[in-house]
Amino acid sequence: MTRQLHVNVNILNAGVFGGSWRLPGTDGLASYSIEHYTSIAKKAEEAKLDAVFLADGPQLDPSIRHRTGNNLEPTTVLARIAAQTERIGLIATLSSSYNDPVEVARRLGDLDHVSGGRFGWNVVTTAGGVAAANFGRAGEPDHGLRYRRAAAFVEQVVATWHEREHHLSPQGRPVVVQAGGSSDGKRLASRVGEVIFSAEQDIDKARAFRDELRAGAAEFGRDPDEIAVLPGLSTVLGSTEAEAKERRELLDEILPDAYARGRLAGQLGFSLDGLADDEPIPAELLRDPDAAGGSQTFYRVVKDIIDRDNPTLRQLLKKLSGGGGHRIVVGTPEQVADDIERWWRHGAADGFNVMPDVLPSGFDDFADHLIPVLQRRGLFRTDYDETTLRGHLGLGLPPVPTNIWDRPLEAAR
Amino acid sequence: MTTPILIEIAVGDPSAADGTGAVSLVDAVRIAAAAEASGVTALRLLDAGTDAAILDASVVAAHLAGRTDDLGYLVDVPTTHHAPYNVARRILSFDRAAGGRAGVVLRPGTGDEVSDAAVPDASASDPGERWAEYARIVTRLWESFPREALLGDQEAAIVADDTLIRPIAHVGRFYRVAGPLDGPSSVQGRPVLVAAPDGAVDWATIATSADVVVVDGDHVAGADAALTAALDQAGRRRDEVALVGRRVPGDDLVTWAGDHRLDAAALRPTGGIDDVLRVIEALAPLLDGRDATLRGRLGLGAPVAVA
Repeated sequence: MTRQLHVNVNILNAGVFGGSWRLPGTDGLASYSIEHYTSIAKKAEEAKLDAVFLADGPQLDPSIRHRTGNNLEPTTVLARIAAQTERIGLIATLSSSYNDPVEVARRLGDLDHVSGGRFGWNVVTTAGGVAAANFGRAGEPDHGLRYRRAAAFVEQVVATWHEREHHLSPQGRPVVVQAGGSSDGKRLASRVGEVIFSAEQDIDKARAFRDELRAGAAEFGRDPDEIAVLPGLSTVLGSTEAEAKERRELLDEILPDAYARGRLAGQLGFSLDGLADDEPIPAELLRDPDAAGGSQTFYRVVKDIIDRDNPTLRQLLKKLSGGGGHRIVVGTPEQVADDIERWWRHGAADGFNVMPDVLPSGFDDFADHLIPVLQRRGLFRTDYDETTLRGHLGLGLPPVPTNIWDRPLEAAR
Repeated sequence: MTTPILIEIAVGDPSAADGTGAVSLVDAVRIAAAAEASGVTALRLLDAGTDAAILDASVVAAHLAGRTDDLGYLVDVPTTHHAPYNVARRILSFDRAAGGRAGVVLRPGTGDEVSDAAVPDASASDPGERWAEYARIVTRLWESFPREALLGDQEAAIVADDTLIRPIAHVGRFYRVAGPLDGPSSVQGRPVLVAAPDGAVDWATIATSADVVVVDGDHVAGADAALTAALDQAGRRRDEVALVGRRVPGDDLVTWAGDHRLDAAALRPTGGIDDVLRVIEALAPLLDGRDATLRGRLGLGAPVAVA
């Protein structure tokens, strides 16, 4: 089967930047209404995207004062979108840390059935004491334990899906998506991940990451082509390059400063208070990513930027734009399509998890102007050939993973 | 004077051995459309959680609501396998998507794997007591992020006034939940909380926590008296709770409801899809105009805050 480019859209509330909700002409609170999600999903289906994706976590992000955040439970959103669309895939993030595996297996299997086999589950572990406290814990379990639980959790859920007798899915069972870039996360991805979301800034590192995952999968007896690696891609589009750059500059200007600092402090695991804006962050404050708590993936991304560019604190804040470390591409639809094509041909990606700068306007531009460029180049489908998420992604139905972890499922304490 | 009517269905695999009385999803879509056209107040999606032949009620409800405009929905959820934070969040999300026309029928049961591992009091075991604590948690979570906190002030760069969003800091015997939720409260104040007790939850608990109580069969007669007395003890008015009687469809519906001082009736039509649709269509003359919210349709005013 010829290799195809795959594109998801991440309906990330107001958009990927901290200032997205403030862009003039944008309804800043649109992402607090269900229509925001259903209308973008319909637009994505018209543009023939593989799937829509919803990030999520069982907590209120303390940055709510200055930034919009997740606020609608994903399975209820996707069940509604399923009723209003016909082909597009539906990927939801649900935590393995704070869900009951029996319940989740049933609910997600039922959603997959109800949608006609279009569902994918992004398995995450949940970092942070805020979420932990919503489930009776005093603090988060350590990173290693979170991933061991995730491995056992996935194994139990997938086995349950395999054993279903009622409400079977046209795609066999939901697609397993995985996003962690830590050492533990990569191991889990190689073992069970079918779609892997990654956060890579550099084309060669991205290719190495993809190669590593494919080799890892082969070691576990899997066909490497049963994995699709989709790096995150934040897009800022304009009808001219100057216009796109102006839009990016504006997004930087309207980024609430308090939000950007709080977010970076969270990613690094220490407060920025007292650090000079015009100097790099002192090296002694930066630990080895494998020893970091929280989200190791984003810590690693930030640390890589620091190691590579040695930015001042102000430059680092600007580079990240409160966007969490995904690669940002700014330009005309043709220019961004060039970039997408280059990464795909280089083997750095099987496609992209697109995070438009502002929603819905940034996605409207992407769907209306960038997708047609990819289609004209013969890189992207002009219509759906398949009806399931597995079909769109070109994935078969692999055997049920077993013995991912050699102990029974442990509830994180 | 019209009697609000709920239609109850279990959606799943009618051909399964344990799928008796289930309607298929395709038929459920037709039933929802007919119910909406007739002026039915809400569809209740039955679900005990353990029956593999029945589809998850929250998934079905969210799906059906994607095809109807203003039909109300009640979703059955047991405490078993469901952490209260997750349920509070899921039901409120659904309610927001359904324009303030949703509620949950909380079924008594046991715990969930996540909460059990961190249970404050390992000796706690009574399902009625668990139900009461669970009801209190979801109710308080539904109030934790007031709608007026969401500002969206682009100029001042303030999405929300976080001083108005407050954790609930619940510490009980079965659960410890900090909160708050991540999204604003319902346009109807709070989603509707329904008790459908099967003996596990007593009148005192219902009177403290429920917005709606559903009783059936032998329990209908005398229910109004029991509820009134229990509400009096709990310091709430009779009109703060809707008493719903379950029964089979019939001509004497309105008189029956009046005789037992019921605030609404819940029907579970049986038979093939055509029979069910006929029963629903026949209800239209009994039903008249609908309030925008589920609370309004059930004759309930704005909820009294419990936090």
